Amino acid sequence: MTRRVTLFDYGAGNLHSLAKALERAGAAVRVEADPALAVRDTDALVLPGVGAFAAAAERLAPGRDAMRDAVAAGLPTLGICLGMQLLFEGSDEGPGDGLAVIPGRVMRLSARRVPQIGWNAIEPAAATPDPLLAASRLDVAYYANSFVCRPADPAPVIAWSEHEGDRFPAAVRAGAAVGVQFHPEKSSAPGVALIAAFVTSLPPDR
Amino acid sequence: MLTRRLIVCLDVKGGRVVKGTQFVNLRDVGDPVELAARYEAEGADEITFLDISASSEERATLLDVARRTAERLFVPLTIGGGVRTADDVGRALRAGADKVSINSAAVERPEVLTESAWRFGAQCVVASIDAKWDDAAGIFRVYVKGGRAPTDREAVAWARECVRRGAGEILLTSIDRDGARTGYDLPLTRAVADAVDVPVIASGGAGNAEHVRAAIADGHADAALVAGILHDGVTTVGALKRTMADAGLPVR
Repeated sequence: MTRRVTLFDYGAGNLHSLAKALERAGAAVRVEADPALAVRDTDALVLPGVGAFAAAAERLAPGRDAMRDAVAAGLPTLGICLGMQLLFEGSDEGPGDGLAVIPGRVMRLSARRVPQIGWNAIEPAAATPDPLLAASRLDVAYYANSFVCRPADPAPVIAWSEHEGDRFPAAVRAGAAVGVQFHPEKSSAPGVALIAAFVTSLPPDR
Repeated sequence: MLTRRLIVCLDVKGGRVVKGTQFVNLRDVGDPVELAARYEAEGADEITFLDISASSEERATLLDVARRTAERLFVPLTIGGGVRTADDVGRALRAGADKVSINSAAVERPEVLTESAWRFGAQCVVASIDAKWDDAAGIFRVYVKGGRAPTDREAVAWARECVRRGAGEILLTSIDRDGARTGYDLPLTRAVADAVDVPVIASGGAGNAEHVRAAIADGHADAALVAGILHDGVTTVGALKRTMADAGLPVR
């Protein structure tokens, strides 16, 4: 059964690797620049991870409520890097509203070397890791970010990482919406496995 | 903790990976898409394509190569060479690059760094700096145009300015050491790495695994770029990363 996955395109960067990783897992990928249309006729939404918060929030604004309602209603969603940050309320990087699916704000990493660019750890927050993390066995992944999510409450955090002593959420989950601060599509075979696990976890015939 | 990275660089001309000395005696090494995928499989943390094409016709081919590479490569890809404007950066990202390095154009017009960072984020803007020790002046002098044209700029100050203007990473190449295989320029690397708060990639001079270890442990670089010694089969990605790990450096 082919799962339909829609990539919301903010117009910023490289979607090829992500689209290809989703297709490899058997998804039928549609790239959609209209935020309201991006949540229609699809089994899942993917918010890719390249760009700046303000520019992305601007592209999101016309269909923000429609997207927020769909995600809150249980549309399976994978937010990557900036896409994870858009699940939150707002960002110190720039003006604009996120989807506010998870209470909290995006703030600058508290470290000397910013942006953090490179491979860093993923430490599951619970003894029994989230199914998505368990399925991929991803324990180190590629990050490229200056900002991190600061949830109002640690409950949604399913994995942590740390950069120069600043502990930050590597991954969060709110219902069927998952956000990852790292780039699975740039984390070699285990990262591709996480994307595949997301696709195969999608319920058929939504 | 962030691991230290090993980045494999491929010189691309007219859609093929080439190898030569000082941009002459070029010979065909292979298909960039195949080679990039092979180095990923061997454990390379990132791949860099450096476009050394002489003409814009050849240059256009690189975006097609990037597109085909991005569909097969699942580690970060940086593209550099001939990038002039923020629109060029956008095209490269759109084609499949995760990061774009800017060299001569940034020296001529530093605003291009700011414009690119504003539109695409600092994490994808790499300032590429070619430097050479100037004995008379007692400074590391910045060169442009493939290391052929000297400028008035000093490398450490220029690196600081690049970061202030929006670069999220510095690719630092020693012209003296490039292709010499006598080791990275440690004083140059250390001077720049200690002066900026963004990651610094050491480039130029890798002859063996010990050189890579020294660039990171003694040169304070976050990453080391290697090319010739891998393409020639002098060593392997695996052997280089083992030496890094054995020296106590965190690696993937």
